[in-house]
Parts: sequence; C-alpha cells; structure tokens
Amino acid sequence: MGTVVSIELADDLPEPRLRELIASTCAWLHEVDARFSTYREDSEVSRLRRREIDLPDCSDDLRLVLDRCAGLWRETDGYFDAYATGPLDPSGYVKGWSVEVASARLAAAGSTRHHLNAGGDIRMRGAAPGGGPWRVGIRHPWQADKLAWVLAVREGAVATSGTYERGAHVWNPRTGAPATGLRSVTVTGPDLAVADAYATAALAMGEPGLAWLAKRVADGYESAAVTEDGRAFTSPGLPVAP
Amino acid sequence: MRRSTAAAVGTLTGAALILGVRLSVQPPAAPAAAPAAQELTGEPAPAESSAAAKKPAGSSSAKPKENGKPAGQAKEEDGLKAGTYKGKAVQNPYGTVQVTIKVSGGKVAGADATYPKTGFSGTINPAAVTKLNQETLTAQSAKVDAVSGATFTSQSYVTSLQAALDAAGA
Repeated sequence: MGTVVSIELADDLPEPRLRELIASTCAWLHEVDARFSTYREDSEVSRLRRREIDLPDCSDDLRLVLDRCAGLWRETDGYFDAYATGPLDPSGYVKGWSVEVASARLAAAGSTRHHLNAGGDIRMRGAAPGGGPWRVGIRHPWQADKLAWVLAVREGAVATSGTYERGAHVWNPRTGAPATGLRSVTVTGPDLAVADAYATAALAMGEPGLAWLAKRVADGYESAAVTEDGRAFTSPGLPVAP
Repeated sequence: MRRSTAAAVGTLTGAALILGVRLSVQPPAAPAAAPAAQELTGEPAPAESSAAAKKPAGSSSAKPKENGKPAGQAKEEDGLKAGTYKGKAVQNPYGTVQVTIKVSGGKVAGADATYPKTGFSGTINPAAVTKLNQETLTAQSAKVDAVSGATFTSQSYVTSLQAALDAAGA
C-alpha cells in the first residue's frame, strides 16, 4: 500500500540546504520502500519470505526490524503481529521506524525543528514555525474534515490507527476476525514505531484495549480512543493543546 | 490511591489462587455481606469493586445467604455453609491479601481476593496503573500543523485534511 509522507522543516537554514535535506530524506524513504516493501518482488523482505536468504544473511536493519517486531509481539500479548496476515509483513513497524530514522538523520544533519507525517503517523522535533509546540490534530473518526482533539507536542510521535479509512483491515489474531469495538486509537510518546504498534494492537483488542492502553502510560505513551458507538476516552496525561 | 490497588491486583493474582486453596480448609471467618466482585485480571478495578475492597474485614454484620434452608443443618452435613466468607488478612512481602470464598450448595463456588491498600503495594508498584477518562467526543476545526489519522492511501490522501494543509503551506 502506498502512502504519502509530508515533511516540514522549520529550521532557519538557507533554502538550498533545506532542499538538500528534503531530498536526502526522500531518498532514504524510497530506499526503505525498495528494501522492505512486500509489494516488490526484489525487496529483501520478499526474498526472506521466499527463503532465498536466511536470517543471518539479512541486513542489520532488517534484523533489527524483526527483533523489534518480536519484542512488540510479546509486549502486546500477540496483538501486534508481523505474521497476522500469514507470511511475514513487518510494514506495520517499518513505516514508523523509517520515519524515526529519517528524523534522527535530519537532526544529525542540522535540522532540529521539523515534522514528518507518514500517512497520518507523525514524528516531530524541536519548535514549530511559530516557536511553540507542534499542533497536531487528531482526525474525527466520522467527519473527515473535523478534528476530535488537538495535541501540543514538541518532541515525540503521534500515531493513529482506525477502521474508518481502509475499513476493517486490522485483525484480532486471537479470533481471526476483524477488529471491532474501537473505531480510532491514537497513541503519543517518544517513538513513532512503538506508538503506531501500540495503536494497532489496541485497535485489534477492541474495547479491552482501553484498559491495556492505560497501562502504557507508565512507559510514557498517552492515548486517546473512540469506540464504535462514539464514546471518547483519553489518558490523564494526554498533551491536549490549550 | 485506587491506582496502587489496581496495580497490586495484577501482581498478586498467582498468590491469591494459592491462598484461596488454603483458606478453604480453615474455619471461615466473619461472613461478609457481598462478595468482592473484583476481577483478578490485573485491569483497573471498576469503582464498585474498589469500594468493596476498601471495606475492612469483619465490618459487615449481614448473615450469609441461606439458600432456602436454615443455615447450619443440611449444609453442615456437607461441611460448608452457603454464604460468602472472608478469610483472615494475610501479610506477604507485597502487601496484605484477603481472600473471599463463596459457598453455594455445600461447595466452594468461587474464590476471590482483595488487596487492602498498604505502604507495600505503593512502593512495589510505583508505576501504578491509570484508567482512561471518558469524555465527550467533539468535532472541532482548529489551526494545526499536522493531522494524525488512520493511515490513508496515496489515493485517499488527495481528499484528506493533511493534503489541504500541505497545499496551504506549499
């Protein structure tokens, strides 16, 4: 599945430098797509799927991704599952991870104020153009042009999983049935890949995911969720914009 | 304060099961009015059951349920009177555990445990479990830098709020 990544650099740098930074970020994201896409026959992930290569032959990046997927599988009681649809599909982790890496590379290259939005999952760093925190709207789960919450985040990630955009595409691995009960789950915290995995896992859990999300607060991940029948829930420390 | 109670429930689930077995052979202590309907799942306890958990042992004077027969006759033949009984509060390294058993038809129909709040559980579980707050879902329009939503495809991006933002910023 293709998606769109929006990049905003708020640094006070010469325009040619900003363009270079954007270009190198795009190059990295295209590289990730070439190496990890399950839609490309020649990607490393596709070759591992066909057993043309074994785990020891894989790149450090892919082994790290698989290791993190396994860790998140345990952390989420199996609800975040890179094998949920059958063959290996680490896309659910790769997207957030690639944006995390992109943001870290930007910072190392001199961009300390930016945000990247990969299909609705956002990593931000430093101050927004106005000097304050980034204002992140959480899409209303029924009204595409409205927001349910606005968060103020200076450093960290906001990820949302929901059933409204692509229908029932998240499965409950325990029952094999499409996830039901929750319509939208947003998780905010330090790491985008983790936030995204937590949001997807909670969505797969259904309403018991609300109690599970509450426990993630201790790890630094706050959340907002909306049930299928329109009830809204937030964790006490959710950084809602004033 | 409820937070530390809920956290202790998760930690002590295993211990409660063991204590429950042991208490079933001890003479039951003062009968309690109602079973503490606390689930041993480690999830945050609903408000009702945490209220029950706060009840000190033996504070209730209600009689056990009699199951339609006078207590202490037919049921005594089976050795167990119908009703709900609270065991003695037991100290373990994690805090105080108190087990409740429910007797019905001469058999233990259910065992349950409550964890009165002590300093122990507070220190053992500093990262206490919180609960999500329910609130009203709003539909607002506000100026934002980015929009987080369920992953859109390249196709649906065109009609998304984020695309409108990007167009405005370009």
